[in-house]
Amino acid sequence: MLPHMEITLDTLKRVTRLAGFEWEDAELEALRPLFARTLDMLGRLDAVDLAVSEPSTQYRVL
Amino acid sequence: MAELYWTPVADLARMIAAREVSPVEVVRVHLDRVTALDPKLKAFITVCDVAALAGARAAEAAVLAGGPLGPLHGVPYGPKDLYCTKGVATTGGSTILADFLPDTDATVVARLAAAGMLVLGKLNMHEFAYGPEGLNGHYGNVWNPWDAGTHRVAGGSSSGSGAAVAAGACPAALGSDTGGSIRIPASLCGITGIKPTYGRVSRAGVLPLAWSMDHCGPMARTARDCALMLGAMAGYDPADASTSVLPVPDYAAALTGDVKGLRVGILRAHFLDVAAPEVRQAVEAAAKALEQAGATLDEVKLEHLALVPAAAMAIVGAEALAYHAPWLRARSAEYQPDVRARLKLGVAVSANHYLRAQALRARVRQEVDAALARRDVLLAPTTPIAAPALGQQETQLGDGPSDVRSALIRFTRPFNFSGHPAISLPCGFTPAGLPVGLQLVGRPFDEATVLRAADAYQRLTDWHTRRPPVA
Repeated sequence: MLPHMEITLDTLKRVTRLAGFEWEDAELEALRPLFARTLDMLGRLDAVDLAVSEPSTQYRVL
Repeated sequence: MAELYWTPVADLARMIAAREVSPVEVVRVHLDRVTALDPKLKAFITVCDVAALAGARAAEAAVLAGGPLGPLHGVPYGPKDLYCTKGVATTGGSTILADFLPDTDATVVARLAAAGMLVLGKLNMHEFAYGPEGLNGHYGNVWNPWDAGTHRVAGGSSSGSGAAVAAGACPAALGSDTGGSIRIPASLCGITGIKPTYGRVSRAGVLPLAWSMDHCGPMARTARDCALMLGAMAGYDPADASTSVLPVPDYAAALTGDVKGLRVGILRAHFLDVAAPEVRQAVEAAAKALEQAGATLDEVKLEHLALVPAAAMAIVGAEALAYHAPWLRARSAEYQPDVRARLKLGVAVSANHYLRAQALRARVRQEVDAALARRDVLLAPTTPIAAPALGQQETQLGDGPSDVRSALIRFTRPFNFSGHPAISLPCGFTPAGLPVGLQLVGRPFDEATVLRAADAYQRLTDWHTRRPPVA
């Protein structure tokens, strides 16, 4: 697994633009540490082995 | 008649049907409570006084006419302000929807109306249900009625529902629960609230936070009241493809008061062991009370919970971002800051992580199923701490410091993730006089057993009858 890249303001702007959002720099700058922490947290999900159980959502007994 | 505002739903329905009290009187008493208490509580976003009184007069006429009555005829309640109500503002706790007047009722609002219930008003909440403290910068932060001097949070996101019921401003409410939003305010406000199995209750006409994690359910002062409301709400709905066609049992009939032989698995690791000492003590005592009434106790451990916070972030983050994307593009500044930040962090979720989160969900569900294969319910605290003060950011748990938000959802979120039914009911108080919540988790679609255990506990104890100082 690749180490996480540093999240710069420019990176964050590109990511959010790619997702279709255009937010102000000041707000993105405030979000930057949270964004980095969230990416670290989400990265832990790479340990989930999809061979063990496939994605599913909830109970639905019909 | 002043004490009508402490009368449970079950008794109000019986008294109205027996002509012992008029629904007009019941509604008036509760509207007076709202007028007296809500300037401090801020539990209501909209008070439907005119419509509620008109409905009460019609309900009274129906009683006098002697025709068939619904099981909850003439009893008022408050839906959280994300349930669509025809012609009545449904804000989601946001100014973005301040002018939204739905042209139809949510399915469960329509079903409760068919059972005879009357909407007293729409209840405050964390903006768009995205927060376990129940904060609202637009309509005011709800005041927890259990502390008259210090502004403590009521818990969220269904904070108005928790506070209004606890203070006797309405006998029952509807909440919604994506990470604990029924059970957390029930715990922090000392009332009873059940999150049913995913698919048991329709979400049609309810503003979503995360479609695959959202659950709708009742909040009231007793398990019996929750059983009566759930019976009226539950069942297949063609407008919600996730609902089950399994028949809805008579939940009230299941309340035998008997827990002899009930197999209770205590969740210590990751739950009781990390709760604050006063919470642990109250929940241990509750387990003991059930044992003395004939239940059998053993200990159970869930092994796959470590990644649940990350997986829940992936699922809720992605689903909430998808729903809010148009407003985040055009009206971002109108969200309250914490909700806006949380929504924007959804951009960090990739399809890879979303799907791995859903795969983990299957595994956690299997693990909870396995734990319940030889047990009827699992028992844990609802929250590791009692109601924090408004603005409190950090708390101390048994395994170290935690931010308050993570602490509040830590014990409830696994069962949104897995979809199992779970109830919170009061089981004691801290030395500071704040309620402690007991959580019981059941097998899928076995709300009857969860409610039976909760009702039996409430027959053994009087925690649910205590009244808060603000009331």
